Amino acid sequence: MNKSDKTGLVFFPAFDWAISPTHPEREERLLYTRDQIFEEGLMDLPRITEYKPRLATFKDIARTHFCVPQVKDQITEAHLVAAGGALVIADALMAGEIRNGFALVRPPGHHAMKVVHGNRGFCNINNEAIMTDYLRRKYGLKKIAIVDTDVHHGDGSQDIFYHDRDVLFISFHQDGRTLYPGSGFTNEAGGPTAFGRTLNIPLPPGTTDEGMHYVLEKHILPVLDDFKPDLVINSAGQDNHYTDPLANMKITAQGYASLNAKLKPDIAVLEGGYAIETALPYVNTGIILAMAGMDYSGVTEPDYTPGMFTLGPEKKARIEEIVAELSTVWERRDSTDIEVLRAKQDFFQRQKNIYYDTDGINECQTERLRLCPDCGGYLSTASQAYHHNGVQYNVLCLSIPFDGCHECREEVYAEYEMAVSNKFYDYVYFQDRVGDTYRGYGREKPLEWEEV
Amino acid sequence: MFIGIDVGGTYTDAVLTDGKTIIGKKKFLTRHEDLLSSLLGALDAILEGGDISAIRRVVLSTTLVTNIIAEKKYPPVALILIPGPGLNPSEYKFDTLTHIVSGGIDYRGREIIPVSHGQIGQAGADIKEKGFDRVAVVGKFSCRNKCHELLVKEMLEKGNPGLAVEMGHTVSGQLNFPRRIATTMLTAATRALFAAFAGSVLESLKERKITAPAFILKADGGTLPLEEARKMPVETIFSGPAASTMGAMCLSPKGQTSVVVDIGGTTTDLALILSGEPLLASKGARVEGFFTHVRSFAAKSIPLGGDSSVVVRDGQINILPERKGPAYCMGGQGATPTDALKFLNRVDVGDSSRAVEIMELLAGETGKTPAETAGEIVSKACQTVVSAIEQMFISWEEEPAYRVWEIVQQKKIKPNNIVGVGGAAKGLVPDVAKQMGCTSIVPEHADVANALGAAVAQPTVTVNLRVDTEQGNYTVAEDGSTGSISKGRRFGEEDALKLAKDRLYQIAENLKIKEYVKKIEVVHSEVFNMVRGWSTTGKLYDVSLQTPRDILFYLGQGDSPDE
Repeated sequence: MNKSDKTGLVFFPAFDWAISPTHPEREERLLYTRDQIFEEGLMDLPRITEYKPRLATFKDIARTHFCVPQVKDQITEAHLVAAGGALVIADALMAGEIRNGFALVRPPGHHAMKVVHGNRGFCNINNEAIMTDYLRRKYGLKKIAIVDTDVHHGDGSQDIFYHDRDVLFISFHQDGRTLYPGSGFTNEAGGPTAFGRTLNIPLPPGTTDEGMHYVLEKHILPVLDDFKPDLVINSAGQDNHYTDPLANMKITAQGYASLNAKLKPDIAVLEGGYAIETALPYVNTGIILAMAGMDYSGVTEPDYTPGMFTLGPEKKARIEEIVAELSTVWERRDSTDIEVLRAKQDFFQRQKNIYYDTDGINECQTERLRLCPDCGGYLSTASQAYHHNGVQYNVLCLSIPFDGCHECREEVYAEYEMAVSNKFYDYVYFQDRVGDTYRGYGREKPLEWEEV
Repeated sequence: MFIGIDVGGTYTDAVLTDGKTIIGKKKFLTRHEDLLSSLLGALDAILEGGDISAIRRVVLSTTLVTNIIAEKKYPPVALILIPGPGLNPSEYKFDTLTHIVSGGIDYRGREIIPVSHGQIGQAGADIKEKGFDRVAVVGKFSCRNKCHELLVKEMLEKGNPGLAVEMGHTVSGQLNFPRRIATTMLTAATRALFAAFAGSVLESLKERKITAPAFILKADGGTLPLEEARKMPVETIFSGPAASTMGAMCLSPKGQTSVVVDIGGTTTDLALILSGEPLLASKGARVEGFFTHVRSFAAKSIPLGGDSSVVVRDGQINILPERKGPAYCMGGQGATPTDALKFLNRVDVGDSSRAVEIMELLAGETGKTPAETAGEIVSKACQTVVSAIEQMFISWEEEPAYRVWEIVQQKKIKPNNIVGVGGAAKGLVPDVAKQMGCTSIVPEHADVANALGAAVAQPTVTVNLRVDTEQGNYTVAEDGSTGSISKGRRFGEEDALKLAKDRLYQIAENLKIKEYVKKIEVVHSEVFNMVRGWSTTGKLYDVSLQTPRDILFYLGQGDSPDE
């Protein structure tokens, strides 16, 4: 991408932030990782440049999310720093200061969806998605691929880009029938206008390095070759590790490091991974060295011996089946006669129920996508949230895509004005990504504001 | 009476003070080949006619170790490394005989791979056979558990009598294995040479019947008794910039924020005094290409000095980042900023007629008047200094931070003063200060700022304690000491603070500077709950204490920053 030979690193362990004192997402999470990468002296290596994170703005967040009631209510300062850390790496990359970069930040974000009523899967806002939209807005990048290597399905990122044919989202994860969030099956393959731009690879519990690398080489890398993205992002969870307390996979530090050596992401952003002593110090060191193009073969867990894990024939066959199925999906990606649908100028509509495990919220959504002949089409999402304490929200979220056409903008504007005047919703949001302005209206006060 | 002597690269300065005012000052050219005689010459000159029994303290600052390292005049040191899992050890570039021994300690100081006895024996024999008599033994995470280093040392000494073995954990307890290797290697390399020098100095003081204690200045502006410093020679590198910063601190108003601009012949050194405290670099000093663990001031050096070469290209004035010789007005060959300053009558030294001559010559090329040409040179030099100061503030603001509050609470720092020391300071600093909207201070005794800095510097003690209540042990970064505590919940934050204080007093006692420990500041105190399977199994305490970095007295404009 550029001539620099440096790997950028933002290390933000948020040593003063936790969801709760004993929660997996607590102060201690990156403590031993800090010890390992500092003791290795990685920050002094001539190929590594350390950057300080900054605070993301509310506008950066509102470009991607609809936070209910407002951005300030959904985030803490730690979230702004974590998202801001990813943006710092993005800027350094685009300025040509670095060849690739790793935002080793917490709190994580890949379970945060387009509409945010609270925390789910330890996430409030989606760092990779915010960075993706920032790169598109600020630098005019067109096509971005996100590869989610966390053990949990990246359902938040999937939701955000489900109707976006310019963002390819690929997630491999432990089969949703055996793990949170219970989604990420092969049939979730993108909306009608972006079919095949979401690819889910549910892996059987116990999948080893061999199985993961089969998926990478036979499916992910060829798909990336076809898609030809401007930029590849690794949503770098580390909980496929064989010692992770919340999942059941058998991936090693070597497996994760060589994945990054092959995938060659332009930017990696840390996601989950809760084996804070037995996995994270080694996996992170391995990823950093792999991204810097250095020898990572000596980065092994103390209890690791080669040949420790083997992939059984049944699991292997299952993985081969999934890859074959997804290859068909990918080949058919442009065969859906979307132009016919678009010519009708109709709407695509779907209903969703979303559960927020951390905060105990049930959300019902009705999503309407305009099948526009001239642009990606605007998206209108009506959302009702039922909090465990009885609080309820009824909101309408209107979004214009980056390539939004004049007609869609006019229509959304009219819809926004009407929703504001008929006072049916508690809050109405207008996400205008063409004009880069993000407005909200609250019925109670009444109050209209813009996120800046 | 207090004596401060700085043996610098060019000059050796000496200052005699009674703790309130400067009673005597001397300045000589340093005899590069004989630092001891330079030092003693300055000492004798400043003592001349004085009352030797009234001397209460002698503080030295010397480039000895800096020179030994820069000129590579040290005996070869072999390395025995115990890296365990991680980065390939071939990435470490130390350019000396290196043996890698298998063994491993993890981030919490637990042994994960036992050290190989057979490999130690082989390494020792090979080192001896290749003619090395010094070896540095360093293990990854040895600061969390020293057992491997101790074992290697014991085996080496048993098998190879006469081999001097330096261990990593005694040199630095900070995280960063490659830096610990470099610092340990340099300590092993310079220890004997420095000890001999320190011995001669102590002997010479005795000969002069000076019974007052002698101290040596460290890179972080603190001092150590000369006797004790023999064990940690590398701490004395870069004492020159530390001395000039401490001197400038003494000569400027107490408690304010000042940029110290030390303009020499070839370079200008910048340092920062932040609300009265010299700013320390967040990482150890870089010594001749080696990243080390030596704490030093956050100084910045720019290639601009009074003797920098000035040329005109296409009618434009350029100040080149190099010195070709002395200023023209001092008998040199070409134009320099000093000549411009002399032309404008802003410096005392030099020959005015030669300054006029060279400015007229340059004016012929610029097409401007000699006065305009001289003015432009000075303004370019100022601009370079101003940009470097601004850049220094930016890079300081961009230092990494690992806590939310550190990112959120960022505020812009604006200096009150620009304090100029060094030859061309008087001519340039007022303009620099004006451009930055600061007060210009070029103090009366700026010429001996370094010796003054040494004279007013005081011993400092720091302690960085880490307690792991799950394992029931603690480690101290400064001296590599370890110990056990009662496991479990009974050990609280107050216990950690008390333990840290006890260790600080112990360190001070070992260094024979306990009397200087009056106030102790908590620099940093942090606790991490260790949670395993949803229940708290222990706590990790990180406590950092220090004695305040104060100086003996201030000669600056009053004591109150509000004046």
